[in-house]
Amino acid sequence: MLKTFGALLILIAGILFGLFQSQSLARRPKQLRQLGLALKRLETEIGYGATPLPEALKTSAVSLSPPLAAIFLDAAERMTEPGTVRTAAECWSAAVQRGFPRTALKEPEREAILQLGATLGISDTQDQLKHLHLALHHLAVEESHASDEERQYGKIWKSLGVLGAALVVVIML
Amino acid sequence: MNDSIHDLLPPGIQAVLSKLPGEVVRTLEEIRIREGRPLEILYGSRHGFPDAFGRLSPFPEQAYIPSREECVRLLDVLTRHSLYSFEEELRRGYITVAGGHRIGLAGRAVLEGGKVKMLKDVTSFNIRYARQVKGCGGRVLPQLLDRDATTVHHTLVLSPPQQGKTTLVRDLVRLISEGTRELPGGRKVGVVDERSEIAACVRGVPTFDLGPRTDVLDGCPKAEGMMMMIRSMSPEVLVVDEIGTLQDAEAVWEAMNAGIRVIATAHGRDLEESGGRPALRKLLQEGIFRRFVQLTRQGERFDARVKELAGPRLRQARAPDELEVRRC
Repeated sequence: MLKTFGALLILIAGILFGLFQSQSLARRPKQLRQLGLALKRLETEIGYGATPLPEALKTSAVSLSPPLAAIFLDAAERMTEPGTVRTAAECWSAAVQRGFPRTALKEPEREAILQLGATLGISDTQDQLKHLHLALHHLAVEESHASDEERQYGKIWKSLGVLGAALVVVIML
Repeated sequence: MNDSIHDLLPPGIQAVLSKLPGEVVRTLEEIRIREGRPLEILYGSRHGFPDAFGRLSPFPEQAYIPSREECVRLLDVLTRHSLYSFEEELRRGYITVAGGHRIGLAGRAVLEGGKVKMLKDVTSFNIRYARQVKGCGGRVLPQLLDRDATTVHHTLVLSPPQQGKTTLVRDLVRLISEGTRELPGGRKVGVVDERSEIAACVRGVPTFDLGPRTDVLDGCPKAEGMMMMIRSMSPEVLVVDEIGTLQDAEAVWEAMNAGIRVIATAHGRDLEESGGRPALRKLLQEGIFRRFVQLTRQGERFDARVKELAGPRLRQARAPDELEVRRC
């Protein structure tokens, strides 16, 4: 009786672990897509609206899921802080440092958005658009990688969780 | 230095300025920041180069030298982190910030079709303090009055830069709008403030006191703005700053013939010098301006000499002694 119960626990744990792993694999391409959309929005705000950066960041954050939106809002907040003499780049990188660990994104994206941050707000419209395009391109590449990875390993993780748990159960029984 | 300018400056320069003697801070007129070259300040018609400890010297050897990083930071903060939304300002070469202070910029011009599109690599900043000196027009206004028509004469205010033209005009606007003993009830005043200097509007609302009957058209090209004002706001007195181009003169001429009294300013030492400029020559030759105010600065005060066209100098008006310097 007790053995069956333990085996069941191990199985459930294995399945959950597999699910969790495949979920976090699925989150990355999703967040990358969202980030891409937000940057497109930022592009519109800058290119057509000439909206000041803090407001533009706030509007772009609307469509984002919480961990990513937090980065945009945090950066906007830091820029509008009264008496601040920090540059946009500093505000942005500080916001990214703080908010990034909570997202499912990885190092290459981090590089891309930090690089984008270094150029935000310091040049004319055309230049800004170029930099945004570049960042979007980077993200698109990463997104296709991430989707591939998800397709490849998502199922593997799920089955691996079940099978691993079953193996442990079999060995222990 | 507890004002809006101080908050914009990079920490290094902030530190230098906060160590300046109080007397200097009180009469501060310009802060000139040039990348890789000595920091300069102008105060009370004098100039000096402060070192890192805020000690002023007439020689630049020991002076504090703003770095590239500080200049980049300053521009970033001035443009509210959005250079792209300040392209128009960069094309004109200055930015007006809260409090009416104007920051002149110089760098490398980017051309498009032979015209300046914007400034790149901005390396020189001239931060000009704007101060409202209430009452400085009190002695001048009575001499500009057209007593028959109970309004003011067409007036041209002339002076070289930095002598207080805008300050005087600002106060005249306030006085005409509020009304004085000689001009009871005041008049409707329209201000076309192309450079946001007279009213220093922030989001369309003047930050200087221009009286209760004043409308301001902010950031609008003068020639177009004057016509818009005439058509839409029915001003009795129209005020414009720094007329210089032929279109400006044309619009002034138009307004004058529309029965509106015009007060305008122009750069120039005196009538002869201004008459040499094509735009003004026509206006002067037509003899429409009835009063000329010539300004010369003396320390913290200025001398305003009012002349009637082709007539003798009326009287030398001095700015009042109890001149109150109001910090903004």
